[in-house]
Amino acid sequence: MSLAQVAVIQFPGVNCEAESVRALKRVGLEAVVFRWTRRASELRDFQAYLLPGGFSYQDRVRAGALAAKDPLLDVLAGEADKGKPVLGICNGAQVLVEAGLVPGGESIGLALATNRMPDREGYYSRWIHVRIESSPCVFTRGIAPGTVLPLPMAHGEGRFTAESSSVVSLAAAGQVPLRYARPEGEAASGFPDNPNGAAADAAAVCNRRGNVLALMPHPERAQDLGALARTVPGAWGERRDRALAAGEPDQPGPGLELFSALRRHLEER
Amino acid sequence: MSARRVTLRLAQAWVELIADDPAAVSALAVARARLSAGRTLATLRRLRLFELRGALPQGQPLADLLHRSTQFYNPHKERCHVRTRAREASMWSDDAWVVLVKDRDGCRRAAAERWWRHETGDAVEVHEAVAWVLSFEPAGTREVAEELVVLRDRRHGLLCNPHAQAWALSGTDVPLAWITAERGDARSIVPGRTS
Repeated sequence: MSLAQVAVIQFPGVNCEAESVRALKRVGLEAVVFRWTRRASELRDFQAYLLPGGFSYQDRVRAGALAAKDPLLDVLAGEADKGKPVLGICNGAQVLVEAGLVPGGESIGLALATNRMPDREGYYSRWIHVRIESSPCVFTRGIAPGTVLPLPMAHGEGRFTAESSSVVSLAAAGQVPLRYARPEGEAASGFPDNPNGAAADAAAVCNRRGNVLALMPHPERAQDLGALARTVPGAWGERRDRALAAGEPDQPGPGLELFSALRRHLEER
Repeated sequence: MSARRVTLRLAQAWVELIADDPAAVSALAVARARLSAGRTLATLRRLRLFELRGALPQGQPLADLLHRSTQFYNPHKERCHVRTRAREASMWSDDAWVVLVKDRDGCRRAAAERWWRHETGDAVEVHEAVAWVLSFEPAGTREVAEELVVLRDRRHGLLCNPHAQAWALSGTDVPLAWITAERGDARSIVPGRTS
């Protein structure tokens, strides 16, 4: 069986395309960087899509706002409507939200607002824990609900919010497949478990069908066990210590779980 | 601490890049190319608007304080216009629309307030938002301006995502207290020039 082709879409200012391609290849998928200068129609040749992190168009106007208007997004929306998987990580998530692909529907339904933190403001970076929730999301397919993954987050505008209480409604509908949590898996108890003040502790939101996911933490930066911070406790921390002791820091890390889920989904289609 | 006379209670500082603003240039290009309401958009400017409330010095001492701190602007790259009276000559053409966009959850600038207190001993409130100045050719209506402001989908709106931001629209007679006049859910339209 030929490997599924994933387009890693790079707008000017995106800076996580190389590690995203590497993560996809590590789980057995083919991946190429698809730059904004290519014809949008060529996107239709791919089976899945990833919008990586960075600062597309320098975050001008708002993070993700200008890339969301790019003709590539029209094609991407059409392919998403057909059920093809689309993952946006960090700035990619901001693009998907600004383009209305997440949570989906007739109009824009969410914003990724400026972080809200006690006694500080602006950009914030740390290792956090996310808990997998029951969801139709293809990027958590096969991962047991309740599973806790340590992942790094690094952003200034990552707080899922909406005019009404719709983030809570989305969570109830299974459209919040990853929530910020404590290392042991209990619900987050404010900052810093929830590092940005996101409603419903949402670390990610997907569309109703589950094939489009806007994810704020960076799984591609947690693809090697050796990359896990010394402060990451628990089972993943023990695995990291063993990998480092064995001189094998590039053993698969927690971030690869989400990419493996994508592969499982593509294989089953 | 200076012994200057303090009389002002409110001032606005309008800060704009001396060079072309990249955000405004990009937004103009995207609006013209991708948004139906943007086809007649002729110029687009972006300014950072500060509103200061509290015991403020008058005239040059106020301008000097703003000039001295990077909390407000970089005088090597930006210009700053201080406005302390409602009736002042407009900074833009008569047919322009001015849009205020601010974070819905607050736009206080704590670091700027700390700096001000350290420098002057006075407590002031500092609020910051973004102002966009839109002009159309031919002149645009309020409805066209609004359609460019509020993000509704990929084809409609750009400058404000209403899920996180509040906005207000004015003609050239911009209120002197604007950020702080628009408390809470500030989606109301401030009456300005009629369209």
